[in-house]
Amino acid sequence: MNPTPSPPVSAAFTVRDLSKRFAAAGTGEPVTVIDRMNVSVAQNEFICILGPSGCGKSTFLNILAGLDPHYEGRIEVHGEVATGGRLPIRIGYLFQEPRLLPWLTAEGNVDFALASCKVPRERWQARKDEYFAMAGLEKFRGHLPHQMSGGMCQRLALVRALCVEPDLLLMDEPFSGLDELTARRLRVDLLDIWNARKKTIVFVTHNSYEACYLSDRILVMARGALREEIRIDVPRPREYDDPRIFELNRGVVRKFLEIAGDA
Amino acid sequence: MTIRLVSIVAAIGLWWLLSLALTATVLPDPVQTTATLWGNITGEGVTKDLRITLFRVFGGLALAMLIGTAVGVTMGLFRKVEKVLDTWVVIAMAVPSLCYTLVCFIMIGLNETATIVAIGITAAPTIAINVWEGVKNIDTRLMAMARVFETTPLRTFTRVVLPQILPYLVASTRFGLGIIWKITVFTELIGRPNGVGFKLFYWYQLADMKQVLAWTLLFTLVMLILEFVVLKPVENRLFAWRPKVAS
Repeated sequence: MNPTPSPPVSAAFTVRDLSKRFAAAGTGEPVTVIDRMNVSVAQNEFICILGPSGCGKSTFLNILAGLDPHYEGRIEVHGEVATGGRLPIRIGYLFQEPRLLPWLTAEGNVDFALASCKVPRERWQARKDEYFAMAGLEKFRGHLPHQMSGGMCQRLALVRALCVEPDLLLMDEPFSGLDELTARRLRVDLLDIWNARKKTIVFVTHNSYEACYLSDRILVMARGALREEIRIDVPRPREYDDPRIFELNRGVVRKFLEIAGDA
Repeated sequence: MTIRLVSIVAAIGLWWLLSLALTATVLPDPVQTTATLWGNITGEGVTKDLRITLFRVFGGLALAMLIGTAVGVTMGLFRKVEKVLDTWVVIAMAVPSLCYTLVCFIMIGLNETATIVAIGITAAPTIAINVWEGVKNIDTRLMAMARVFETTPLRTFTRVVLPQILPYLVASTRFGLGIIWKITVFTELIGRPNGVGFKLFYWYQLADMKQVLAWTLLFTLVMLILEFVVLKPVENRLFAWRPKVAS
């Protein structure tokens, strides 16, 4: 894929020549995880990074999240270059597992995030009321994580990520550990929430249908680089079973196999 | 509860059977021992010796927990500290408690400070290793989560690290109490003119096994009360959030 020549004015962030290498344990040989990646993501755009395991997509998210400060290249946010690994914007991150603090109630977990992000205390109640309602979790505010199902825990993790009102929401295969029915419900709810509260989302997945249903644009990643860009022009709001999405998905799967399969 | 009761009754029965086989000067039976203990309690002197021993036990425990937790937590969190200290912790653990006691008595004097320092230093390495093990088991995924939300280091410690190592700290306290009580009695025997250890040795020299067992029983009962009246309720409160494993 060609590098984006000049980012659109409304770019949420732009990545230029991003590379990530490290010395392999034992042999010390350099391993390239991400190789000169270029991408620009527009404000409020929903992009999916589709790739097989080990293609570097999670590493990319960790770099964006500031969890991995050792990389080459630049990340620009509104023309400002990120230094010290952290983007100068608020990040929300939904991991593959909920990563809740098991000794705190649902509400306590959200409070933890609100306090950590230094959200003024007088706003907590309104935020919590809003996002707990959106996720359908009002009745579970006093529950401990182990008293909730896997799907509900992931919903709670989503509430926690949204409550701090991030400028950029990163999602790392958040529904891959759930059963298909639960995952499907969560995908639909995620789009509803996104329609109501626009946000820039980078969603990493290996599920092509999920990518087609959710995103504005799919970036196919393989062997540490972006190989293909696919625009999803299905108008919103979308139906989960929209035949156009099925049709698009067939093409995406074909492309995906072509790119990821020729290793 | 019934299972606990049956096991206690069985143990006392075994003691009684054994005492039948041996003479009373070697092993007094449970009734004789309890009678002696009751005589001691209703008489004078028990509370004074018990109080001084408990004071040393808790002083030593506080010191051991303080050193052990500080060393264990920093070793678990910082790899460099771990590399500097790991050999020393093992060495410190290998030194016999008698050495610590003698060195403390010579350097500080035959007094309470020396006693508590000796007890604390002897138990600290074991507690440090326990806590270190606990900190190494911290869920790094939760640490990453905290970092994404830009949690300050202090808050990460109190809200994410501490709850995870708390079970190890409670286990260390319980475990520390067990070894410290043994060290205390031993230290009292060597260099103190009072306390349970001194009394045990005193009655041993007089070959009065009834008194030796009575004092042992007294301290065992105190430890049992501590476990069920203090430690267990504290533990239940701290870990109420945990799902029940055993039924």
